[in-house]
Amino acid sequence: MVALRQAWLLAVNDLRQEARDLELILTSSFFSLVVLIMLGMSFSALGVSSQPLAVPGMLWLSVAFVGALTLGRIFTREREFDTLRALLVAPVERVSIYLAKAFVTLVILLGCSFITVLGLTLLFPAAQPFAERPWATAALVLMGCTAYAGVGTLFAAGLASSSGKNVLLSVILYPLTMPSLLFALVATRSLLEGHESFTTYLGQLTATNVLAFVVGAWLFEPVLVGVPQKRSGTARAARRRR
Amino acid sequence: MDATALLSLRDISKHFGRLSVLRGLDLDLRGGEIVGLIGANGAGKSTLLSIIAGLMPPSRGQRLFAGSEGVGRDERARFAVVSHTAQTYPRLTALENLELFAKLRAQAGCHSEPLLPTLDKLGLGYAADRQAGTFSRGMLQRLALARALLGKPEMLLLDEPFTALDRPGRTLLASVLAEERDRGAAILLISHDLEALVSVADRVVLLEQGVIAGAVPRAPDNDTFGPRVRELAGRMPAVRVEAEA
Repeated sequence: MVALRQAWLLAVNDLRQEARDLELILTSSFFSLVVLIMLGMSFSALGVSSQPLAVPGMLWLSVAFVGALTLGRIFTREREFDTLRALLVAPVERVSIYLAKAFVTLVILLGCSFITVLGLTLLFPAAQPFAERPWATAALVLMGCTAYAGVGTLFAAGLASSSGKNVLLSVILYPLTMPSLLFALVATRSLLEGHESFTTYLGQLTATNVLAFVVGAWLFEPVLVGVPQKRSGTARAARRRR
Repeated sequence: MDATALLSLRDISKHFGRLSVLRGLDLDLRGGEIVGLIGANGAGKSTLLSIIAGLMPPSRGQRLFAGSEGVGRDERARFAVVSHTAQTYPRLTALENLELFAKLRAQAGCHSEPLLPTLDKLGLGYAADRQAGTFSRGMLQRLALARALLGKPEMLLLDEPFTALDRPGRTLLASVLAEERDRGAAILLISHDLEALVSVADRVVLLEQGVIAGAVPRAPDNDTFGPRVRELAGRMPAVRVEAEA
């Protein structure tokens, strides 16, 4: 519970700072809008029968792009002002930092997905089920974005702490988020086509989320501060003497 | 091993690939003592601080803080680190920066000192409601120190804390450190500025190419370190030695 309460404090702190400069929110939502306009212009001539095949791709491709952009900047403040180290030496559960960052990433992704889903519904007749089944759509987007945020935050943290290049984030991120994106893609298609299998796919997506967060929370601390070597110096010295 | 030591480092080594940064280092730090660790750039000072603070595991050796090898939440509540970087949130005011860490400490069941008096103590009371992003480097350094002092730490680790401070700031820092030492805190002060170190340290330790090359305690009679410090510092061209006559 301490970890959750500390995570909430850190997330509120991040959102409070974001509300003051709107840096991430403006960048991500504007990018979503640009992607949406480009997709709309490219696929507006698509026949109604083909649209259910294309709309899921448009939605999750947009989430993947915006997600990479968001994750690339989610640790920017920590990197520029070295506040991550301040948190790491404070009596803060390290998993709280992970949960807070994943939550903020999720909030931004959900906002951007709202723009994308709304735009797709207006632009493509085949996307009408998004408006007709708003709760199912909300659950789908929530689950898809959560998996993405869970996996992505771990690698964004690793790159932030090791002064890594952001370009590496995309190289690592896309292959690892592929399973969740594929589940989300298939679930979206079944939603648009009104298949009963939608709930099954949603369940699989939820299981992917649980896995992503368990692995993310487990690996977060080793990714940030490394793993102590098991063999003690004394044991090694004794071995050398022998 | 010194039984009274709050921090004990034994045979600490750190390698990054083939590069050996620390090599079999031993160091004890007792409560009520300020140890000045001096070394040229690249001597391994910041790596050592990272290992002590639990930000990096050693490749070999043992780090004991209050008898424990762990660097869990409970251990981290008992020490504080001030780095040469400000480590503050620029969009938050000075008070909000402290408030965040005080709340995080409270969630972990740790007490924090009152915020405004702590800011006042560091001469930042007048800027409590200003965003940290508008602060000078010296003010940021004092804000970082205020955050470190929030939990009355048993051990205080400071990495180049004098760097951004003007003369009144240095005097203030020296008096705060003396006050913390008198309270019983163990203080490790890392710097490459000998003048600043000898003004506050009880013991000066030279780190050279990853090993402790020498240590000089402050002489109790004349309250200086004597010529031995100049000898040590003479091995390091980058170190300033004007202060010690």
